[in-house]
Amino acid sequence: MPVQRIDLPQGTLDLLILRTLGLGPQHGWGISERVQQMSSDVLRIQQGSLYPALHRLERRGWIKPRWGTSENNRRAKYYELTKNGRKQLEAEKDSWNKLTAAVAQVLGPA
Amino acid sequence: MLSDLAFRIRSLFRYRAAESELDDELRFHAEQQRDKYVQSGMTADEAERLVRMEFGGIDQVKEDCREARGVQLMETLLRDVLYALRTLRKTPGFTCVALLTLGLGIGANTAIFSIVDGVLLRPLPYKDPSRLIALNETTPKVGTISVSYLDFQDWRGQSRSFSDMAAVCGVGFNLAGIDQPENITGAAVSPNFLSLLGLRPFLGRDFEPSEAKAGAAPVVLLTYPLWQSKFGGESSALGRTISLDGRGYTIIGVLPPDYRAPDKIDVIEPIGVWLTGNSSATERGNRGDMFVIGRLAPEATFAQARAEMDGIAARLAQAYPGSNDQFGVALQPIREVFVSGIRPAILVLFGAVMFVLLIACANVGNLFLMRSAGRTKEIALRIALGASRGRIIRQLLAESFMLAMLGGVFGLALAAAGTNGIARLVPIGALAGANINLNGRVLLFAAGAVVLSALLFGLAPALQSAKAGVQSELKDGGRTTAAGAGQNRWRATLAVAEISLALVLLVGAGLMMKSLYRLLAVDPGFRSDRVLTMEMSLRASQYDKDISKLNFWQQTVDRVRTLPGVESAALGTAIPLTDNHSRADITIEGMALPKPGSFPHPDTHIVSPGYAHTLGVPLLRGREFVDGDNENAPLVAMINARMAREYFAKENPVGKRVMFGHPSASTPKWMTIVGVVGDTRLYGLANPSRLELYVPFRQSVPGHMDLVVKSALDPAALTSAIRATVREIDKDQAIFGISTMEQLIVNSVSTRRITLILLGLFSTLALVLAAIGIYGVISYSVAQRTHEIGIRMALGAQRTDVMRMVLAQGARIAGAGVVIGLGASLGLTRLLANLLFSVSAADPLTFAVVAIALVLVAMLACYIPARRTLRVDPMIALRYE
Repeated sequence: MPVQRIDLPQGTLDLLILRTLGLGPQHGWGISERVQQMSSDVLRIQQGSLYPALHRLERRGWIKPRWGTSENNRRAKYYELTKNGRKQLEAEKDSWNKLTAAVAQVLGPA
Repeated sequence: MLSDLAFRIRSLFRYRAAESELDDELRFHAEQQRDKYVQSGMTADEAERLVRMEFGGIDQVKEDCREARGVQLMETLLRDVLYALRTLRKTPGFTCVALLTLGLGIGANTAIFSIVDGVLLRPLPYKDPSRLIALNETTPKVGTISVSYLDFQDWRGQSRSFSDMAAVCGVGFNLAGIDQPENITGAAVSPNFLSLLGLRPFLGRDFEPSEAKAGAAPVVLLTYPLWQSKFGGESSALGRTISLDGRGYTIIGVLPPDYRAPDKIDVIEPIGVWLTGNSSATERGNRGDMFVIGRLAPEATFAQARAEMDGIAARLAQAYPGSNDQFGVALQPIREVFVSGIRPAILVLFGAVMFVLLIACANVGNLFLMRSAGRTKEIALRIALGASRGRIIRQLLAESFMLAMLGGVFGLALAAAGTNGIARLVPIGALAGANINLNGRVLLFAAGAVVLSALLFGLAPALQSAKAGVQSELKDGGRTTAAGAGQNRWRATLAVAEISLALVLLVGAGLMMKSLYRLLAVDPGFRSDRVLTMEMSLRASQYDKDISKLNFWQQTVDRVRTLPGVESAALGTAIPLTDNHSRADITIEGMALPKPGSFPHPDTHIVSPGYAHTLGVPLLRGREFVDGDNENAPLVAMINARMAREYFAKENPVGKRVMFGHPSASTPKWMTIVGVVGDTRLYGLANPSRLELYVPFRQSVPGHMDLVVKSALDPAALTSAIRATVREIDKDQAIFGISTMEQLIVNSVSTRRITLILLGLFSTLALVLAAIGIYGVISYSVAQRTHEIGIRMALGAQRTDVMRMVLAQGARIAGAGVVIGLGASLGLTRLLANLLFSVSAADPLTFAVVAIALVLVAMLACYIPARRTLRVDPMIALRYE
């Protein structure tokens, strides 16, 4: 495959999860699929880090779980954003944009 | 934060549900992924394999999720605790030894801390006790002395750095008419005394300002214990009259239950009542048994108060040179009055038990290391399976904490029993009325000791275990190599530490023992065997006249002399080693007159004929008093050897004349010295002898004397016969302070004796623990080296060579411990210095004997396991591998 994958920078995993859930409730597998699609296969989340991250976000109260049924009729654990989670998403998006803009500015003239 | 905690706790309770949900969640993911791969054209097997590869260690993911949920802390804590308890139960020998060791260490600490707390830490039961200062007068010759009542009044009137002052004067009473006549002690105090301390009577009223003046009606406040014992705690006691010294006193109140005074007291009366019966108190030169309590003014400091009092004393010295020249003022925080005598002993014991606890921790740490050596494989396996090092350390620490906690519980039980035991050892009064019990603060201290010891003995082994190399441990032959060496180093270090700590304690105990031995070998100046003493105080109004006192004393001593079993009997005041002292300035005829504060100030004894003989005080020159030295004969006196030496260096004092007080216009009452007797240790065996002056009782009639009886047999058997004799003379007369002179000597060294007993106990414990420690190290090392020993023997080494090699290892440990311990002792025994008597804190003999004894014990402890090498059969040792 010609697509070059990049490792996720520290801290961006939470932002990606929150952003994905911002589109609507989703289960863990769905989240990783979504991220992969939306990033045109550049970003790929390892299960080994995805699930601990989900549990961590749940503990912080930014997402909350709900058992539901998947498209293929399997029992699946869906996550959705809480009100705090939405605020957190905005805040993190904001700081991410600032960061990338700043980094771009530094790199820009070259 | 709170919601986080709630989340964690919920997770803990939903543990099983959460675990199965986690399983479901991860399985769902795997299935989705597999379906996806199958749809993209893989075979089911290929898809399955790829999914597994992507997932990595499923248990690792789960563990990470648990950690992310924060279940970890609570849940693993619970699991670790249960696991730890299981492990401890599986090794009962290890657990018992560790619990016993820790229990003794923590128990000893808790018991001694309860004394530290009760005596040194707990605030005195007064309002703002740190602002209370005790004041005394001082002279250059004698040091601290009692306060003159007139000086007190000037201090109180002139000082600004004290918001108020109260005088406290020791008094004694004969209490009659309740049950058998007895002597009680009390204090005459300024009416503001209680309010100055911030106290109010538990019942009844406080004294009133008008009761400061002579002529005040006789009233008393009872202490709570006296009220309980004599009046059954009935409030009807208020308003009743009790007979003190044959005089009716109205009970106006009861002191609070927790009232504490430096000396035991039963009642307090207003100073005005005392002034009524002591007209001489209005002379400035009269310094009876009075001290002053002052409360520092809000802004004043101790240093300011001292400076101000120095100034006032200097002004008084100028204004009244006859009575005050050279007199100064000593200030002391009130707590010092209570504890200054006992503090060093308590702190030394506290230090000693801390050492014991350190040794106990080192020992248990060693046991842990020994045990974890057998667990290195288990631990390595768990690390390989994904357990984090932190997790392993946590689990091992949980074991230490469980052990320490159980040890702490055991220790508390020991402390509860031990505190009572120690309290029973200590003579009443030595702890200044402090209440010793296991209160909240003591429990908190015990908890602290538990945590500290768990960290001390748990952390090193835990870190050591978690460091164990995964590779080497799991390799087949990796039985006892790298990690073993590291552990052996730890274990040897711990054993060295134990030996050096034990050495410090043993040196301390040795020095104390030598001190006590030297002290008891001191010649007290009298012969204590078979001598009984008891006090009587003539206070009732029938004894107002000297002639009636004389009659009582004379009859008593004459009749007691005729009792069967009595070798000799005599009367005397201020006998050695009691709290009764009387000192007075004297003038020697023809001496160059010194300043008022520098007159000779001997301890004076008023005695009957036969006193020196009965007590066995040697007569050095001249004669003792005889019956002829009576009220009609010329005044006579005896002096002691020290006074003869200091004031009559080259001359024979017999025939010279002395008088009480300073020369004045009135006719001097010269007394002719008729004899010189030996010095006695009035103030305890450790205190040097002082100037002493003796006068015959018929020429200076006292109201209070000791009857001293030398018996042919057991002196205590005479008590009831003497009581009966006194009752025949006066049925209301109280007899108290009954004791043999031997008991007085024993009591005078009781603080040292108890300190020695406890220190001896703790250092023996330390020695045993240290011996166990080095025994453990050597026996473990022998077990580890069986293989090596087998090879050596197979190659021709003699058994004795091998044994010597093992003993050499023990000797290195013992030697290092002794050298370090000797160094530490040199530094630390200095803290013992003021508990020692005529022994240097660096006494070479004690150091040498203790060091040799410790080396011997250590070598014996090594010899037992070393002997095992003799039984090693090279064939078996080699085949074992």
